[in-house]
Amino acid sequence: MATELVDSVATRDAVVVVDELSVAFPSRSGSGEVVRCVSFSVKAGQRVGLVGESGSGKSLTARAIMQLIPEPGRISGGRILVGDDLVLATRASARRWRGTTVAMITQDPLSSLNPLVRVGAQITEMLRYHRHLSRADARQRAMELLNGVGLPNSKRTMRQFPSALSGGMRQRVALAIAISCNPRLLIADEPTTALDVTIQAQVLDLLERMSAENNSAVLLISHDLGVVANFCDEIMVMYAGRIVETGPTERLLEHPLHPYTTALLTSVPSMTEALPERLLSITGSPPVGGVDVVGCPFAPRCPLAQPLCSEVEPPLRTLDDPARRVACHAAGNKEWPTARQAVGVS
Amino acid sequence: MTSPTSTTLVDVRDLNVYFRVRRGLAASRSIKAVDGVSFELSPGQTLGIAGESGSGKSTVARTLVQIIRPTAGTISLDGEVVTNLKGSRLRQYRRRMQMVYQDPYDSLDPRMMIREAIGEALAVRGLAKSQHKDEVHQLLHRVNLPASVATRYPGQLSGGQRQRVSIARALAVKPEVIICDEAVAALDVSIRAQVLNLLKDIQRDTGVGYLFISHDLSTLRFMADHVAVMYVGRIVEYGTSDEVFANPLHPYTRALISAVPSVTSRGQLRLKLSGEPPDPGNPPSGCPFNPRCPEAIDECRRERPELLMTSSGQRVACHVVSARQHRESAKESA
Amino acid sequence: MINLPESELNAAFVGSEPMVLGEPNFWRRAGRSLLHDPIAVCSFAFIALLAVAAVFAPLIAPFNPLHEFSNGLSFQGAPVAPNGHFLLGTDASGRDVLSRLIYGARVSLMVGVVATGLASLIGVVIGTVSGYVGGVTESILMRFTDMVLSFPILLFCVALIAVTGPSTRNVVLVIAFAYWTYLARVVRGQVLSLKEREFVTAARTLGVGHLKIIRKHIMPHLLPTIIVYGTLGVATSILIEASLSFLGIGVPLPQASWGEMISEGQQYFQVAPWLLIAPGVVLILTVLAFNLAGDWLTDLLDPASRDMGR
Repeated sequence: MATELVDSVATRDAVVVVDELSVAFPSRSGSGEVVRCVSFSVKAGQRVGLVGESGSGKSLTARAIMQLIPEPGRISGGRILVGDDLVLATRASARRWRGTTVAMITQDPLSSLNPLVRVGAQITEMLRYHRHLSRADARQRAMELLNGVGLPNSKRTMRQFPSALSGGMRQRVALAIAISCNPRLLIADEPTTALDVTIQAQVLDLLERMSAENNSAVLLISHDLGVVANFCDEIMVMYAGRIVETGPTERLLEHPLHPYTTALLTSVPSMTEALPERLLSITGSPPVGGVDVVGCPFAPRCPLAQPLCSEVEPPLRTLDDPARRVACHAAGNKEWPTARQAVGVS
Repeated sequence: MTSPTSTTLVDVRDLNVYFRVRRGLAASRSIKAVDGVSFELSPGQTLGIAGESGSGKSTVARTLVQIIRPTAGTISLDGEVVTNLKGSRLRQYRRRMQMVYQDPYDSLDPRMMIREAIGEALAVRGLAKSQHKDEVHQLLHRVNLPASVATRYPGQLSGGQRQRVSIARALAVKPEVIICDEAVAALDVSIRAQVLNLLKDIQRDTGVGYLFISHDLSTLRFMADHVAVMYVGRIVEYGTSDEVFANPLHPYTRALISAVPSVTSRGQLRLKLSGEPPDPGNPPSGCPFNPRCPEAIDECRRERPELLMTSSGQRVACHVVSARQHRESAKESA
Repeated sequence: MINLPESELNAAFVGSEPMVLGEPNFWRRAGRSLLHDPIAVCSFAFIALLAVAAVFAPLIAPFNPLHEFSNGLSFQGAPVAPNGHFLLGTDASGRDVLSRLIYGARVSLMVGVVATGLASLIGVVIGTVSGYVGGVTESILMRFTDMVLSFPILLFCVALIAVTGPSTRNVVLVIAFAYWTYLARVVRGQVLSLKEREFVTAARTLGVGHLKIIRKHIMPHLLPTIIVYGTLGVATSILIEASLSFLGIGVPLPQASWGEMISEGQQYFQVAPWLLIAPGVVLILTVLAFNLAGDWLTDLLDPASRDMGR
């Protein structure tokens, strides 16, 4: 499986290849895996979305790529290759490519920006360390970047501390820092979750523009399917540490193959169409990370579940459409019994 | 403005909540968190209040439950004026208007067992201790939680379960109105849907009225019968949910709705709004939205627009919209 | 239709969540945590030993601590070194050192516990009232606290004893009066932040009265702090008592007190080193044990304050 993925066509032009990645935290009972055998790749310039609720492992997957998994967690399996030349990502090699080839912005820029260092200094530091620019050149470039992210008063902004800026502005600064070294891949982990809706729209717009200008690929991580639907070319849905469905945005949203994807779609009230009396959703809650599960982790909540689902974990495989993968016994199986009950539950 | 009818449950008139901020020796300035807000809630209905940060919607919520005292204005419940109550009258009032909070992790005392937390509410209602156990089980049943939850601590429950407990606790005093202050914002999408369905069920069964405060417009569209859109302490648009979402009139409402990234509206052209919401302590003169408004005219910078009724029954606070309405009605009468 | 949610979630990564006193698994988890920490085990064992010695002193002590033994002094009248009869030797008056140590434990622990208990009571009341009520009341109470706090604690005690006269009761009162201020400030700070927590707002919204809120919502959250400050307070009180006795203005003679024993031992150090070493070591170990136990309790009950006050 490992070599398959690397040599296949799917990884041509890839800027990151994730191959059977598993992340685990020490646990008294069981393996403690919070991310399990996740495999995907992102091509140059592509915009991929990673969607999931809490416990899905999406954030940890992102951090695994950056080699920034918080203690006491660790990568327990698989490997990651980054950059055009697909270098093996390890803690040791990270210093070379982190920030330059792969950059990340997070939900809370206050934690990724140093509150004690002025904004300008944080950008110039990046530029001087990675690009070896002179102080004057770095300053110039920093101001250009700030202008580029829509902070017009760049000279003034340079001198400010992060706490003096609003949430939206901080995210712009974080974005400026992230793209300062023209990364091949930009990972955005819930970048707009803490922002107001109108500011969110601005920042996503900016992200789109920046990634196009720099030809950076974007891996957008969010719990909000709407955000991902409007931004990404391809969507991957995660549940309980595993990828359960992937596919091009349009096809995935028009014809979801996994019951969880369907549930996510029907759980959010539409902004335009007529609304049902009750939202179609599912019972229960996502499982807590690290607890080992036999069979499909979604089975307890799945309206299509059959005894097989609790015994055998469905593998992630392609069906008719080669661009789509799904991990579900029911998907594409014409003889699968239909739902036992209507999916409208409280 | 329609006058409050006998069937109005909650009536808020000209609510002002100003905070005084003093910085050292400098003169104190007022932050007008809520500036001239009026709305009504009918029994068994849901009024949604939409807005981003700084809009004042949470302040409105806290003022209604008397955690914050209004600077001016009146609040009436069932025709009875309840602003600035004190003592035992305040305690009586409190039972009638309850609140469910945003943070499921902080709105329950982590050191109190669930049955004690709900029991506290039952005690306020005056229920004898001997009957607490059954009533707690009934309430938990009502919010679709198993009875075993009663002997657990909040730390052992998930976010969705905690919110249900908060709802049960609010129901325990048999309120007439429940204010949901971003009650589902912190929940996962699939859990959120469950809780929203639950809230609707409860409303149908008990006839309680909801004041639903949320920054999430899709949730509001589902829950609310009427919607008030707030911006920097004022209501800028007010109408039925259908009207406001299908035909938003105020430029801010239009931008807000357009900005919501929705699966069903993907790929549609979005109205871009530049700039940031203003500092509530120092709002722009005239209409607070004018610096960011794509349709601002001179008058918008000078004079603050009133909330006026349009021909379609919506209320909008916008000079541009009012002017347009005038032209259209002039055309019709000509 | 009722759909039951999943069975209770097992927090796989509890990590640094503070444990709730009333929680069902509390004692088991506390016990397990204790077993992983040998230092804490030793500390608690030592404290237990002290407590036993203090309570059962008359049964445990080999001799009467006040009795001046004729064979307790050598022919020249010097204290006798530790031997088979007097396990830790005798002091300048021929009294058995071991017995005096054991009875001294009684004094130290009693003073420590009672003084700290009293100080905690005063501190918690003042802290809670000023934190919860706020306004002018808070200002007055806190300025008063600051005044008391600005005196170096030992000097303060010395001054007060000078006024009230040395006696065991006065020693307890004086220490309590000096020590309550620390707890008052900490409690006030905690009450201030607790007041803003959403569950307190929720209780107010429900219509729960202020006194009830303080009793049911605020006090239980103060318990960890009180316990932790309590253990550390006992250590401090014991030290203060020993210092006062050392200076001669503590527990009146001829009652055995570690401080007094150290004072005497210091005089005779060249001749009879055991007179200083025995009480000195015991005092050090006691204070250490209480401090370490307090540390462990902090980590258990209040991890948020783990890095403070060190």
